[in-house]
Amino acid sequence: MDILTNLLSLLFLPLGTSILIIALGKHRKKYAPIVAFMSAIGALSLSYILLKNLPESVHYSWEWLAFGDSKFYIGILLDNIGATMLAMVSIVALCIVTFSIGYMSDDAAKGRFFAGVAFFMFSMTGIILADNLIMIFLFWELVGFSSYLLIGHYFQKEEAKSASQKAFIVNRIGDFGFLIGIILTYWQFGTTNIELLSIQSGIDPSLMSTFIGFLLICGFIGKSAQFPLHVWLPDAMAGPTPVSALIHAATMVAAGIYLLIRIDFILTSQVLLFIAYSGTFVALFAGFCAFAQDDIKRILAYSTLSQLGYMAAIFGMGYSGIALFHLITHAFFKALLFLGAGAVIHACHHEQSIFKMGGLFKKMPITSITFIIGTLALCGVYGFSGFYSKDSILIAANDYNSTLFYFLVFGAFMTAGYMGRLIWIVFFGKANSEAASSAHEVSAVMTVPLILLSGFAIFVGLNAYWPFGLGASIVSDLDHLHHLSGYKEIHKWVLILGSAAWIVGLGVSLIFYGKGSSEDRLQLKFPKVFAFLKGRLWVDELYQYYVNHIQKPVAEFLSFVDEVILRGIIVRGGAGLVGVLGVGFRLLQVGKINNYVLWFFVGLLLFWLYGIDLF
Amino acid sequence: MTIGINEFIIVSSLLFLIGFLGVILRRNTIIIFMSIELMLNAVNLALVAFSRYNNTMDGSIFVFFIMTVAAAEVAVGLAIIVMIYRQRQTILVNELNQLKG
Amino acid sequence: MMYSHLLFSTIWIPFICGLIFLVSVKDVKTLGARLLGLCGGVLPFVFAWILYFKYDASLLEAYNFELILPTGLESLGIFLHLGLNGISLPLFILSATVGLSAIVYALFSNAERLNLYVGLLFIMFSGLMGTFASVDLFFFYFFHEFALIPTFIMIMIWGGVARHAVALEMTIYLTLGALLSLIGLIALYQQSGAEAFNMIALKDALLEQPISEVLQNNIFALLFFGFGILVSLFPFHTWAPKGYGAAPTGAAMLHAGVLKKFGLYGLLQIAIPFLPAGSEAWGFWLLLLGLGNILVIGLVTLAQKDLKQMIGYSSVMHMGYAFIGLGTFSILGAGGVLLLLVAHGLSVALLFLLSTCIYKRFSTFNMDEMGGLGQIAPNLSAFFALAILASIGLPGFANFWGEFIIFTALGESESTRWVLYLAALGIIISAVYGLRAVGNIVFGVAKESVIQANTASKVGDMNPIEKFSATVLLGSLLLIGVYPKIFSDYSNKTLQNIYSDTSLLLNDEYVGDFKLERDTEYE
Repeated sequence: MDILTNLLSLLFLPLGTSILIIALGKHRKKYAPIVAFMSAIGALSLSYILLKNLPESVHYSWEWLAFGDSKFYIGILLDNIGATMLAMVSIVALCIVTFSIGYMSDDAAKGRFFAGVAFFMFSMTGIILADNLIMIFLFWELVGFSSYLLIGHYFQKEEAKSASQKAFIVNRIGDFGFLIGIILTYWQFGTTNIELLSIQSGIDPSLMSTFIGFLLICGFIGKSAQFPLHVWLPDAMAGPTPVSALIHAATMVAAGIYLLIRIDFILTSQVLLFIAYSGTFVALFAGFCAFAQDDIKRILAYSTLSQLGYMAAIFGMGYSGIALFHLITHAFFKALLFLGAGAVIHACHHEQSIFKMGGLFKKMPITSITFIIGTLALCGVYGFSGFYSKDSILIAANDYNSTLFYFLVFGAFMTAGYMGRLIWIVFFGKANSEAASSAHEVSAVMTVPLILLSGFAIFVGLNAYWPFGLGASIVSDLDHLHHLSGYKEIHKWVLILGSAAWIVGLGVSLIFYGKGSSEDRLQLKFPKVFAFLKGRLWVDELYQYYVNHIQKPVAEFLSFVDEVILRGIIVRGGAGLVGVLGVGFRLLQVGKINNYVLWFFVGLLLFWLYGIDLF
Repeated sequence: MTIGINEFIIVSSLLFLIGFLGVILRRNTIIIFMSIELMLNAVNLALVAFSRYNNTMDGSIFVFFIMTVAAAEVAVGLAIIVMIYRQRQTILVNELNQLKG
Repeated sequence: MMYSHLLFSTIWIPFICGLIFLVSVKDVKTLGARLLGLCGGVLPFVFAWILYFKYDASLLEAYNFELILPTGLESLGIFLHLGLNGISLPLFILSATVGLSAIVYALFSNAERLNLYVGLLFIMFSGLMGTFASVDLFFFYFFHEFALIPTFIMIMIWGGVARHAVALEMTIYLTLGALLSLIGLIALYQQSGAEAFNMIALKDALLEQPISEVLQNNIFALLFFGFGILVSLFPFHTWAPKGYGAAPTGAAMLHAGVLKKFGLYGLLQIAIPFLPAGSEAWGFWLLLLGLGNILVIGLVTLAQKDLKQMIGYSSVMHMGYAFIGLGTFSILGAGGVLLLLVAHGLSVALLFLLSTCIYKRFSTFNMDEMGGLGQIAPNLSAFFALAILASIGLPGFANFWGEFIIFTALGESESTRWVLYLAALGIIISAVYGLRAVGNIVFGVAKESVIQANTASKVGDMNPIEKFSATVLLGSLLLIGVYPKIFSDYSNKTLQNIYSDTSLLLNDEYVGDFKLERDTEYE
């Protein structure tokens, strides 16, 4: 199989799967899981063959559309960064699809679910393989569509309805900027092809523009749920848990970071600075928010936000390789955590509040152990994958700006804190509800993916051992770090701080919250602090206020203007005016011939006067 | 005293004015009708006078046409008035105000 | 020559079918009538695609499949002159597609006096095919009126609430618009001194001797506002939502989907290339009023509670993109407008079709009273959600390319970028109202009374006819969305030809001095 066939089949296999599942009709329910599973295996093996044979990078391009002198291309670009993403996405997707077979076993609309997941895989692969910004935008919207579809899976629920709409619309707001950014890039550089862009910006750096850069990162802000467009991600947890794992933790939200890595050469230093600071802010802000949540999935969602903040921050500091590194490690352990949460939720009969769980460790040992492995990886415990990436982030931050460094270290404390809170309350102590006490370990089809992913969560940080030379940009960035002056000192210092962070975080949360508590002690002891955290800076409320008190009245006012003033007064009024004139002229028609004759002569007189140029 | 073109114009204007006032002021359709004839004849008079004054025959020819048309008009007009009278039992125009808007 | 007659037959076949239905068919439900109806719907569609495959893009100056028949009005320069070029071909196929879908749906519907309904629909269809196949301006206009009149009759007979007032309002508005544009066309003909009243002769005459700038401005104003009223240009749009709200499905599909495109087609094919100075003088108004369509009407759409009204307003809103696309006066912008016209025609027809299907399930158009369609009719829900997403510009559907190309064209020159920033807000607005409609209709739990009513009347999920009609439209949207070259290559050639004489005059700004185009694919 040559590379092109391989690439195309990799791209279109999921699309074909999606169409096949829809075409199954009545047999959807029975065959959808197995079809999706085979397709995920197929995609993984195609990726394997592809990565094995992949030269440095491949690039294909075809004309898609042309008007006048403007041509738009569709193309495939697979370089080392894309290959790394592709490997991660294929593996995570296989694990999650497998898990879904168990998780969704009693769902009536399995066909829709698996078709949606397959379609998502198609769009995500499209983003990874796209060679130009227009094509990225295209698949960017398509992942948004699949996310909409899957968040709205339980469409009868009010929550799913509003969450799916919110996700799509908030993303559209980001895409608004992104789209304008792409168009301006096109006219500025004459192309949107990523390779040509990098050449162009290298030749003539004066073409780079901060304005365009800010517009382009709007896409990232929307998709990766950065402040102030972060509001959709926690709500998106209304979808089925495997979806949260695949789309809203591991892959789609990371696509924003992937976009940044793809276009880092046309972002000016002001844009990077902004990304660094806003990323740090999100890392902290989301960490705080996580403390006030009681839904296990929402806690993980805020944790995802916070980790995306880390990735953005390190990207802004100029280390795109390390951002990619953290993206990959995060994808594995966060998918693991979400699937673990899914297993817990499944076992507890769709109970999601952590205060109604408790004591699950004994009942669900495999889930619990894998979940704890995921947590340790997330907290950056030495030896787990998260350690390697977070460690390099902190070292780089220290080199960049000591304020950001301390903020990010503080963020690490918080990560351990809220994850500790979750672990102690959910898995230890005693069961706090009927559902939790009757929970038992989930079936093998769900535990096997968990075990697989926990393997990755432990070992994927050892990037030196990645096959096929994946992650070359990571290696180069790490090398750069290792050759910083005083690296040894900083490394020691970061190691101490990092370890202190997770030890203190987990320890304090154990002491403060206790094992398996049934209520939030923070809420009891410091209600004001809790309320503040719960308020999440009232961004949601602000938007709600805008929608209800600004947008809606304006829309209704304009509708009123349109209906009453424009249609009623002007259009209908025009008709009315003619009518009134008619009534007026009617008065002249007195019905007496004598008068008519008089008028006739007056008319003649006027003509005559006109004729002799009197006026 | 010779009768010049001015006198003809004055007479024909007077005749026309009488006819015009008749049309405007009188109510009886027959009289209005006669006033119209008066106006036509005023025009005829003027035409003949100008014809003579200019030494051309155009005006006189025109007069013949007007006289034939007037005759036809009388025939049609009187018939209409008779029909109106049969239908409405009146020929006073202030009672014939069907045109009132 | 054979293909020219094929082109002509796409006009007279529906016309004859219409006459037969009007005059001699008593019961549409008989097999013969249905077969006749199907033939009348399918044949033009098939012929249109045959013509597509026989289209020869190398004929630059002339039109393809030209057919000139005498009419007895030769002294006025009027012939029955048919032909297709790269601009009219996509719209011609659009018209055949929407016509097929509307007629099949109408044939199997339960309207009262169905023979009359189908007959009028056929007449309208024949007019539509004629409009886009005419090279002669008299027939271009004539066929438009030919299609317009059945619309009024259909609203009067089968319309919804307040149909008489609405039909009257629409009649006056559209007649006024048509009249203005007719005056403009005649003025153009008369001033140009062309030998015949058709597009080719006009172009030749104007190339030889352009008319003065003042005259151009005045004639363009007539054409702009005349055609603008026909396309519901802000603020002359008020007839559109009400009219579509009251019109029966078939009429709404054909009018909103195809007939409305007449105005923009006129601007694209006649006004802008023939009157470059005039269009430049009015360019700012094109942009400004187009923005009015997008932003003002976009927000008005947000406030709608009635599904059909919402679709009507959204269709008005999307026309704004077309106006601002025309306002760029570039080949890119014109190409985007053309794609948008086809895409919008298909998607708005699809939405009107589906809104009727939805009405059958809920017996109301009020979106606040709906909910849970996903439970009652999953396939219909899927079609509806896809149709809405297509109309708000999801990639993969044709609308995306239309909007995207227009936005790109706006970005070309510094002077129109402000329009880009404002117009792109439209993608957010349309997402809000579109998804709200999907949310209100598809999501949620169905009311008990609705489920019972549906069980009683045995209205389940979509029936095969509904599926067929919707699939024809959705499939075309997907086809163009995935492979836009299907039309863009032909259109591009024609646009380059007819805009090349004028665009040099207009685009003094040249973007960058480097060109980065790869002529060869590399690996």
